[in-house]
Amino acid sequence: MATQLKTAPIVEDYRHGFHDPENYVFKSEKGLTPEIVERISAMKDEPQWMREFRLKAHEIFLSKPMPTWGDTALLSEIDFSNIHYFVKSTDRAERSWDDVPDDIKRTFDRLGIPEAERKFLSGVSAQYESEVVYHNVSKELDELGVLFCDMDTAVKQHPEIVQKYLATVIPPGDNKFAALNSAVWSGGSFIYVPPGVEVKMPLQAYFRINAENMGQFERTLIIADKGAKVHYIEGCTAPKFSTSSLHSAVVELIAMEGASIRYTTIQNWYRNIFNLVTKRAIAYKNATVEWVDGNIGSRLTMKYPAIYLMGEGARGEILSMAFAGEGQHQDAGAKVIHAAPNTTSVVTNKSVSAHGGKTTYRGLVEIHPGAVGAKTRVKCDALIMDEESASDTKPTMKIHEQRSTVEHEASVSKIGEEQLFYAMSRGLNEADATAMIVNGFFDFFVKELPMEYAVELNRLVKMEMEGSVG
Amino acid sequence: MADYPVAKTSEVPEGRTLRVVVQGVEVLLCKCEGNVYAIEDVCTHDGAPLDQGELQGCEITCARHGAVFDVRSGAVLALPAVVPVPTYKVRIVGDDVFVDV
Repeated sequence: MATQLKTAPIVEDYRHGFHDPENYVFKSEKGLTPEIVERISAMKDEPQWMREFRLKAHEIFLSKPMPTWGDTALLSEIDFSNIHYFVKSTDRAERSWDDVPDDIKRTFDRLGIPEAERKFLSGVSAQYESEVVYHNVSKELDELGVLFCDMDTAVKQHPEIVQKYLATVIPPGDNKFAALNSAVWSGGSFIYVPPGVEVKMPLQAYFRINAENMGQFERTLIIADKGAKVHYIEGCTAPKFSTSSLHSAVVELIAMEGASIRYTTIQNWYRNIFNLVTKRAIAYKNATVEWVDGNIGSRLTMKYPAIYLMGEGARGEILSMAFAGEGQHQDAGAKVIHAAPNTTSVVTNKSVSAHGGKTTYRGLVEIHPGAVGAKTRVKCDALIMDEESASDTKPTMKIHEQRSTVEHEASVSKIGEEQLFYAMSRGLNEADATAMIVNGFFDFFVKELPMEYAVELNRLVKMEMEGSVG
Repeated sequence: MADYPVAKTSEVPEGRTLRVVVQGVEVLLCKCEGNVYAIEDVCTHDGAPLDQGELQGCEITCARHGAVFDVRSGAVLALPAVVPVPTYKVRIVGDDVFVDV
């Protein structure tokens, strides 16, 4: 059933495949030693507690073995000694757009940031390589008392909050890649929303990899205090190059009583990137957390957004979609832990594999004893476009509480002949009809995205589908 | 009630742990703040043995995924565990340690 994955060819016309000539201020030598970890911390001028956190995490990273599950063939291609773990491109986080260096501006121009900034964003943290170089928090956020900055700044300016919450959701010991991130993290976003505050506009960030063999290790921490509400969006692109790159982010969300956090991601890394991410949220009493997770790019993605429902009445929703084209493996899923009564969760996962791509859904729903009245529903659908492509679904349910309601449904299909015939009889050619049907398959997800993402996603899907017919 | 000693107090110095089996139950003895505490030697997250973890003060960290428990009460202090670990009553008589499972 599993197919042999072909190596991705270098596609000349990949529209995001530009590559600025490298002119970095500092780039760590390849590989990882305690000295390099110390140097990263020193370059960031970090307090002692963060330096110790990193060094301890590095020890844990060394002590943990590689996973023995998942796509071990692809994972074995990662050469940890062949990666630059830290690159710093400017000296300080920028405040005004005019101050940003030209070549970085060009990069952002192509990613559309100025446009978006003019339109309707509240604040943008843009990460170039491993540093946040452009940061503009609107006055509104300041007035509301919302803290939104890059993680490096947060460590220095808000140490009490960071120390209180960092690594309480994902400890460095959680897995090898969380340990790696904890040792070499750089950039990422920090958000704190005070009690009762609702942030009306989505907060956003962009980031990309440029240097060959450059790893990206963002660390994001979002805390919504009691009754607060925030929506955060991240979307990323990367230029083309031929040797593999590693992206290992850690995202921790904490939704206090009655709070609500929505976290939207569109991942579109180029096809040589290993994207191994640990994302987890805690939802306290009557809080809500929603992960909206889109996976289009990368060579191998392993990502299982998780929600721990720790307080009574907490609610979690995970909407995830994955598209795997030639040479890609999207190994994604969702985890929900019900640890309190009357908690509810919904997981909806849809994936498409085409041109030899492979999608895997790996999910967990666990209902602990005492989580009386817990309700959960999992739906995973896979669409396999052709005979070379594959899809695996591995849902796990561990139900330790009888007074709970658990639903699960899964389907695997190919494009319906009738749907195709109907669309074509309306004048669409087969390629357009197929793209339309696949976009319809993903509609549950696309309609949750802000306009510019929805448009880009539809276009991306159409691009991916080209050549899948005939 | 186990009426035989499972360890000598000298085997559990301050800041250290000792794994013993009491009537078929895997128990971890932990010495902190001058007292000996007993918890089940099984992490409630994924079943790893807690004796492989590190005891700092009265907090033990599971080596497998980083969950943390307070050895005095069994309470969870850090994810990914969510269920407290069972604790057992410890009696010290002379240099003998008794555990009631």
